[in-house]
Amino acid sequence: MTAIAQPGDDMNHRRPNIASADIQLPSVKDWEQVDRELLAIMKPTGAWFAGLATAILCLGLGVFAFMYQVHQGLGVAGYNPPVMWGVYIITFVFWVGIGHAGTLISAILYLFRAGFRTTIYRAAEAMTVFAVMTAGLFPILHLGRPWKFFWLIPYPNWRLIWPNFKSPLVWDVFAITTYLTISTTFLFVGLIPDIAVMRDREKNPLRKRILSVLSFGWRNTEREWRHFARAYLFLAAFSTPLVLSVHSVVSFDFAMGIVPGWHTTIFPPYFVAGAIFSGFAMVWTIVIPMRRWFNLKHYVTLNHLDASAKMVLFTSLVVGCAYIVEFFIAWYGGVQYEQDYFWNRVFGSWWWAAWIMLTANMILPLSLFSQKLRRNPTWLFILSIAINIGMWFERFVIVVPSLSHDVNPWQWTTYAPTWVDYSILLGSFGWFFMWFLLFVKQMPIMALAEIKEIVPPKMKRSASNRHGGH
Amino acid sequence: MMRGMLGVFAELDSTVDAIEELKERKLGDLTVYTPAPRHELDHAVAAPRSPLRVITLITALLGCVFGYWVAIWASEYWPLVVGGKAISSWLPYTVFGFELFVMVGGLGTVFGMFYLAGIPRITQTVGYDPRFSGEHFGVWCECAPDKLAEAEAILRRHGAVEVRGER
Repeated sequence: MTAIAQPGDDMNHRRPNIASADIQLPSVKDWEQVDRELLAIMKPTGAWFAGLATAILCLGLGVFAFMYQVHQGLGVAGYNPPVMWGVYIITFVFWVGIGHAGTLISAILYLFRAGFRTTIYRAAEAMTVFAVMTAGLFPILHLGRPWKFFWLIPYPNWRLIWPNFKSPLVWDVFAITTYLTISTTFLFVGLIPDIAVMRDREKNPLRKRILSVLSFGWRNTEREWRHFARAYLFLAAFSTPLVLSVHSVVSFDFAMGIVPGWHTTIFPPYFVAGAIFSGFAMVWTIVIPMRRWFNLKHYVTLNHLDASAKMVLFTSLVVGCAYIVEFFIAWYGGVQYEQDYFWNRVFGSWWWAAWIMLTANMILPLSLFSQKLRRNPTWLFILSIAINIGMWFERFVIVVPSLSHDVNPWQWTTYAPTWVDYSILLGSFGWFFMWFLLFVKQMPIMALAEIKEIVPPKMKRSASNRHGGH
Repeated sequence: MMRGMLGVFAELDSTVDAIEELKERKLGDLTVYTPAPRHELDHAVAAPRSPLRVITLITALLGCVFGYWVAIWASEYWPLVVGGKAISSWLPYTVFGFELFVMVGGLGTVFGMFYLAGIPRITQTVGYDPRFSGEHFGVWCECAPDKLAEAEAILRRHGAVEVRGER
C-alpha cells in the first residue's frame, strides 16, 4: 500500500473541543493525497475476503431457514397466538431504524453545514441503502405466502382489487419504497464524480468502460458542478422530512392498534429519535474498525467521533425521556390494562429484555458526558455494540410483551423464537454486511470531491497577496 | 468542427486569472474544469443560477397530486363503508401525497440535473484531460482558428502547465 501520512498530534488532542465539528484535516496536504490514499484502500485483502465469506455463510444459513419456512409454513417461526408478530417485525423495525442515521448524516447535517459529516457520510449513506434493503425483506418473510407481496402495490389488475389505503401496512409500502428510492438516488448521485475519478485512473480497458458508463461521462465542468450542487441540495432537502416521516409511518403500524403499550401518540417522535440513535451506533460499528484497518485516522479524526458522540448522547436522552414518559402516561392515564402491561414489562415475565433495553439505551450512553470517553474509539465501539443490542431489544419489548399480555387475561401467553427466527436474523446481518463489504472495495468509502472541498487547493500567490477577497 | 485551446493549471488562482482575461478578450466559449466545486471559479465564470428548482417544484407537485389522486380514486372505485367512516379521507391519504411528493420530486431533480448538465454523455468529446478529476484545473477555450494563438498566449502567460490545441 502507498505510504500514508500519519495523523498530527494537534488534530487528535485538541482541547477544549468547542469547535468539535470543525473540518480541518491538517494531515491531508493536497488533493493528490486524497485520491491516492482513499483509492488505495479499495484493493481487496485476505481479511476482506474472510469477512465476505463469513457474511455470505450467514446469509446462506438465513436463506436455508427461509426455504424451510416456506416449505413447512409459518408455524416453524415460533409464533404463538396471539403473538403473531415476532422476530421478523422486530428486525424490520430495527433495520429501518439503522438506516435513519445515514440519511441524517448525509442530508440533515449537510443542510446544517455540520462539517464532521464529510468523512463519514458516504459510509453512513451506503449503510442506509443496505439497511433499508434488508428491512424491506422482513415484511415479505413474515407473509404466509411471500410470493404475493406485490398485492400491496396499487397497480391495475384483472381482479379489479386495490389495496386499502387506510391501512398502515400500505403506508409502510409507500414509505419504505420512497425511502429506498431516494436513499439510493442520493448515494448514486454523490458517487458520480468519484466514479469519474476512478475512471480516469483505471488502466484495465474493461473496467474503464464500465466506469465510464457508470459515471455518465462526467467531466468535472463548472456547468456540471453547478447543477450537481443544486440537485444535491434539493435531494438533501427531500431526504430531511423522510428521516422524520418514514419511522413515524413505521410507528403507526403499532400506534394504530388498540393494544396496551402501542396505542400512544408519543410513538412517532420516540421511534424517530430511537432510529437516529441506533443508526449512529451502527455507523460507529462500521466506521471505527474501518478507520483503524484502513489507517484513516487522519480523515475520521477524534473531533469527528466526539461530535457524533454528542449526537448519540442527545438522542439517548430523548429516547430515555420517551421511556419515562411511557411509564408516566400509563400511571397517569389510570387504565389498569396499561398499568399492568408496563409493570409486566419491567418486573414481570419480560424483565430481562426490558432491563437490557434500559441499560444499553439509557444508562450506558450517559458515559458520553465524559469528554475522555467521547474521544476513546474503543469505548465508542463497545458502546455501539451495546446500543445495537439494546435497540433490538427495545423493539422486542414493544412487540412481544404487548401481544403476549393483551387486554384479555385468558389470551396471555409466552413467546420463544426458534432456530428459524435466529437463522433469518443472522442471515439479515449476513445480507447487510455482504453488500457493505462489496461496496467498500468497489467504490470510494469517502466522498473524494467533498474532502477536496475541505483541503485547500494549490495557489500561485499566498493568501495575503490574493486579490478579490476569495 | 469544434476547435479550441486547452490549458491545464495546477493552481486555482492562475485558473481564475486566465478565465478572467479570456472572458475580457471575448475569444470564444469557455469550459472550466475543476476536481471539486470552488466558489472562486463560480465567480470568475459568472454563470446564471441553475433553473433546476423549477423542475424540482413541478415534478414534486405532480407526484403529490398523483399520490392523493390514486388513493381517492381507488377508494371511490370500490366504495365499501367500514365502521361508518368516510370513503375518502384526506388525513391518511396525506401519507401517499407526501411520499410521492418526495419520490417523484427527487427523481425529477436527478433527471433535471442530467438534462441541464448535459449528461449522460455517451460520445468522446474534445477538450478534456483525466487530470481534471484529480488535482488540476482546466480551461477549454473554443474559438475561431485565427484566435487560437492569442488564447494559447493567455493560457501560457497565466501559468498553465500544459497548453494544447484540440479539434
